[in-house]
Amino acid sequence: MNKTTITLVILILLTIISALISIVAESYVAISVLVLAVLKFIGVSFYFMDLKHAHNFWKGSILIFLLLFTTTILIIM
Amino acid sequence: MEVTKINYKNIYYPPGGILMWIIIFLELFTFGIALIAMVYSSKESPEIFHDSRLHLNATIGAVNTVFLIVSGFCMAQSVSFLKQKKINKSKLFLKLTMLGGLLFLGLKGVEYYDKIEAGFGISYNSFFTYYWMLTLFHVIHVIVGLVILTSVYLGLSKSKSETKMEDVEASAAFWHMCDLIWLLLFPIIYLLF
Repeated sequence: MNKTTITLVILILLTIISALISIVAESYVAISVLVLAVLKFIGVSFYFMDLKHAHNFWKGSILIFLLLFTTTILIIM
Repeated sequence: MEVTKINYKNIYYPPGGILMWIIIFLELFTFGIALIAMVYSSKESPEIFHDSRLHLNATIGAVNTVFLIVSGFCMAQSVSFLKQKKINKSKLFLKLTMLGGLLFLGLKGVEYYDKIEAGFGISYNSFFTYYWMLTLFHVIHVIVGLVILTSVYLGLSKSKSETKMEDVEASAAFWHMCDLIWLLLFPIIYLLF
C-alpha cells in the first residue's frame, strides 16, 4: 500500500470517528471534532495535493491558517 | 501530452501553481471567516443552533465527506499516473473522481429536497441561513470543479493531446480545494452545535 492509499484509509476512519464522537461523547466534543478536522485537512493538503514536496512557505501558510481558524473557533465556543 | 519537470521546492511553483494557491487561500479565508461568524452568531441563540443542527442528518454529511475524500484520492492517483505517462489509467481515475463529485451532488440534492420539504428554507432561522449560504456556495465550487475536470478529460482523450501537466495539476488543486472547504464545513455545521 502506498502513502496515498494509507492516507485515504486514515481519512475515512477519522471521518467515522468524528461522526461517532458527536453522537456518543458528552464533553470535549468541539475540541475533538476540530482536531480530527485539522488532521483530515493536513492529510488532504500534504498527501493528496503533494504539499509535502512544496516549499516550506506553503506548508507553513496552511498550518498557520489552520492554527488561526481552530483557535478562533475554540475561543468563541 | 507535454510534461515539464517542475521543482516544487521553489517558492513560486507549489503543486498546482502559485495562482491556484492564491485562489485556494482566498477561498479558505472566505469560508473560514463565514464559519467563524456562524459560531459567533450561535452564542446569541445557542438553543436555536443546537435544535436546528439536530434537523441535519450527520450520516448524510459523513457519507458526503467520504465521497469527496475518495474522489480526492482518485484525483491524486490520476495525476500520479499521468506523470508516469499512463494516460488510460489516469483517465480512468479522472472518471472515478468525477463520479465521486456527482455522487456528492446527488446526495446533497436529496438532503436539500428533504430540508425544503420540511420547511427549513434559507429564511427559517439564522442557523439555516448560514447552512444554505455556505453549503450552496460550496456546491457551486463542486459544479465548477466538475466542469474543469470534464474539460481536462476531453483534452486528454484527444489523439494528439495538448494538455499540459501544469494544467492538470492546477485542475487537481481546485478539486482538492473543494475537499478542503468541505472538511471545514462538515464538522462545524453538522457536528459542533
